[in-house]
Formats: sequence, structure tokens, C-alpha cells
Amino acid sequence: MLMFTLQLLVAGIATGSVYALIALGIVLIYKCSGVVNFAQGAFVMLGAYLTYGLVKLGLPAYVALLGAMILMAGCGMASERLVLRPMMKAPLVAVMTVTLGMLILMKAVCLAIWGPDQLAFPRLFPDGAVDVFGIFVTYNYLAAFVLSICLSVGFLAFYQLTPIGLMQRCTADNPRAALAIGIHTSNQISLAWSMSAALAGIGGALLASLNGLSLGLADIGLVAFPVIVLGGLTSLTGALVAGLLLGVLQALTDGLLTPVAEQFLRTYTSIYSAGALQQVVPYALLVVVLLVRPEGIFGQRGTERL
Amino acid sequence: MLALRQVSAHYDGAIVALDHVDASVGAGQIVALLGANGAGKTTLLKAIAGMLPFDRGDIVGGDILFEDASLLGRHPAEISRRGIALVQDGRQCFRQLTVAENLQAASFAHPKGAAERLELVQGYFPFLCEMMDRKAGLLSGGQLQMLVIGMAIMCNPRLLMLDEPSLGLSPVMVQSVFDAIERMHRELKMTIVVAEQTVPRLLKIASDAYVLSRGRIVMHAPPSAMTEEELQKVYLN
Repeated sequence: MLMFTLQLLVAGIATGSVYALIALGIVLIYKCSGVVNFAQGAFVMLGAYLTYGLVKLGLPAYVALLGAMILMAGCGMASERLVLRPMMKAPLVAVMTVTLGMLILMKAVCLAIWGPDQLAFPRLFPDGAVDVFGIFVTYNYLAAFVLSICLSVGFLAFYQLTPIGLMQRCTADNPRAALAIGIHTSNQISLAWSMSAALAGIGGALLASLNGLSLGLADIGLVAFPVIVLGGLTSLTGALVAGLLLGVLQALTDGLLTPVAEQFLRTYTSIYSAGALQQVVPYALLVVVLLVRPEGIFGQRGTERL
Repeated sequence: MLALRQVSAHYDGAIVALDHVDASVGAGQIVALLGANGAGKTTLLKAIAGMLPFDRGDIVGGDILFEDASLLGRHPAEISRRGIALVQDGRQCFRQLTVAENLQAASFAHPKGAAERLELVQGYFPFLCEMMDRKAGLLSGGQLQMLVIGMAIMCNPRLLMLDEPSLGLSPVMVQSVFDAIERMHRELKMTIVVAEQTVPRLLKIASDAYVLSRGRIVMHAPPSAMTEEELQKVYLN
């Protein structure tokens, strides 16, 4: 039982680190432009399909992964330049609705090209597993975890320590002041979109390597939003922690809670299945946290300034 | 150095904020821009700095020339690179970042001589030296105003514009702000435009003054020729 739980934990941490990577991108865009990007799930899906497409073209897995990341960066920048920049003077609600439109559009494009069926995602990492004190960690999970954590930490270091990272933080902190000292804020926003899409794309390929490739990957956005609200919406570290937490909770629900619940239901009622209980967990957690800490775990009270 | 010709500006395409404004600033001058709340001082400075489009505003007529080149349609970042710095009202800086990061960020667009200018800023405002690692949001109002002026110095401007730098400061702090303005004018040879409601000291150091009311220039004279009575009349109108 303990081993089983630990096994679940390992799986949860691996998926959770990918969630964190995806959530990082949403927070990045929100911080510097105030837009909650509903298309992030579409970036995740598109990144996975592009990796798939590039492998089908005959590229080795690592090159395909890198290529998809670069293509996604371009896609993120194009979304900002072509769709969002012309809306500079529009209200934020309109902008966010447009990102929702982008989600639907990208889903339709993927549907047209790759069809509605689940596809066998190419092997990015070798089969097999390492044995850590009796817990089997497959290379897939290990690679997803290591890559996500390296990318997340690398990104945070970039954000905190480099001059361009400082310009990003200036734009996020006070766009007017950034303009006044000669920072091209709109270019910084473009950069944020392209980095965010690139991170999401990699996250998508990793998720697909764990769970298979289908249009349903776009729904990951629905999981990522509770993650960023939990993390406090403006906190990058918050997104990381909340992502990991959510991955673990989902794995534990799936492996422990669902069987118990189903057992209970089958014994006392005529209901046979508890369905996808793990999809309810993020929202349940969200409701509880928002009741206790409306600003999120790492959020700051009163971030609105006068 | 700077010339405004018949500049008109609107907000949201309808609200008139500037109405055929003519003004000029010569190199080496300190010019006072006076007017009551809502007279158009901030709009005028933002129009010069190219920041109106970011406030749902537009310049709809006239021309703004800086060293004989038009600034119309230029991005604020480019205007900043040409040598115009605007110290905005409300002490606009990066409150989540440290003092050092604020100053560093201000020199990105102007990397040449940044190290020397940082020493210069620390010489002007010695208290900043001890606060380099502190978040700017923790500074007092007066300290923030000094930091924001320091950031403007990091931009290495030839024309420095300040929007109500004395607003909400204690009389002692107001004196320090104007000491700094006079030093920058004298030692760094900056041309300076200061927008204020009323500051007797500004009228003493300025060589020229414009009075705005409802988006129009209603008075233009050397400050020595302006009487308290005349000003009051304009403000109360």
C-alpha cells in the first residue's frame, strides 16, 4: 500500500511539474498584459501535434521537440502581433474573449489536419524504468519531470537575473514607467507570449508522451486555471508549487480515492462508476483555497494600486 | 530646442484635452508650465513624450518638433532615446523591484556612460546608496520622488520634463526636489520643463512660463512679469 502510494506520488509529481510549466506561461502573460490567456490550452495541444508532425516527417525525437518549441514561440508571437496588438485600446474582457476564440480556432485547425481520433504519440524517450528503493520510475515520467523542472528553473533564473528578464519585470510592474524610461513594452509583451507558447508547447509534448495525443489536450487549460488562481495569479513560484500540488492530488485521487468511492457507491447504490473524479479535484481545491485565502496561496493582498 | 505648433489632442476621440497649443522651449531654459487641475499640463507633457496613445489619447492636429525633427507618431521608447525624459506624476517606478534594479532598468535604453551616471545619481541622492537592495515600494513619498528623478538622470536626457514633482510632499522635500532640479540644470546642462499648480520657488528659477487653462495657453510671460493676482484669476476662471 505504501509502495503503491509512493508510486502514485511519483506519477503525480511528474505530471504536476508539467502543469507547473504550462501555468508559468499563463502567469507570465497575465503579469505583463493583464490578459488571462484562454488559448494556453490550445498552445499545449498544438505543441504536441507539431512534435508529432515533425517526428512523422522523419526528424529524430529531440530535434522534433526543439523544432516544435521554436515553432510555438513563433506562433505565440504571431498571436500577439496579429490578434492582440491591434486590440491595444479594447477593454480587457474583449481581449480575453478573443483568446477564447483563438482556442476554438486552433482546435478546429488541428481537427482538420490530424482528425478526431487519439493518436499514438511517438516515443520521445527510451522505454524502461529506473528502480529507486523499489519504486519504478519510467524514463517517460523521469524525463517529463527533469525537463519541466529544468525549463521552469531556467526560466525563473532568466526572469530574475538577466537584463531582458528585468525588462520583463518592469513591464509587468508598471508599463507606464517602463515606457517612460525607453522600454518597448509591446515588444516585451510579444516576447512574453512567445516564451509562454514555447513552454506550453513543450508541456504539451511531454503530456502527450505520458497520456497519448488527442484534441482533449486543449482541455488542460481548464486544469491550469485553477493552478494559477491557487498560486496567486501573479506569482511564478506560486504557479510552480500549485502545479506540483495539483498533479499529486490528481494522482492520489485517481489511485486511492476513486476506487474507495466506487466501492462505496457499488455497495450502497446502483451507481457503478465514480467517473473522472480527478477532474473535480482541482476545482474543489480551488473553492476551498479561495474561501480561506481569496488572494491565492502566494498572491499578494491588494495588488491593485491607487 | 522644442517647439509645439498648434497642437490639439483628444481623449477617446471626443474629449478635447489640448486646443491649438503653441509653445517653445529654448536650450538651457527652465520653463514653468502652470495651470489648475485638469488644465491639460499632464496631457501636454505626455503628448511630447509620445505617451498619449497608451492613455486612449491622440494628437489630432499640429506638430511637435524636437531639435527640428517631428516627434509625431514616434514611440515613447524612441523619443526617450532622442534625449527627452519625462518624470510622470504619481512617482511612476517599479515598486516590486529593488532601487538598484529601478536605476539599472532606466539605463537599458541608454547604456553609454551608465556606470558614471549611477555614481552621479548616488552623489545627488546619497540616501539611495543604503537602499539599493530595498524594494522601491517601501520608500517614502519623498524618497520615491528622488528615485524617479534619479531614473530620469539614468536616461541621460537633454530635455527633462517633470509633472508636478512637488505634489503630496512635505515642504522640506519640495525644497530638496527643487535643489536637485537646479543642480541638474546648472551642472548637467539639462533643459527643464516643470509642470506645477503653484510653487513660488519654481517661479523664481524659471526663465519662462506658460499658463494653461482648459487645454489652451492663456498666458505666456516671464515669471517675473506674472503677478499673483493674474494667476489667481486664471485658476479660478
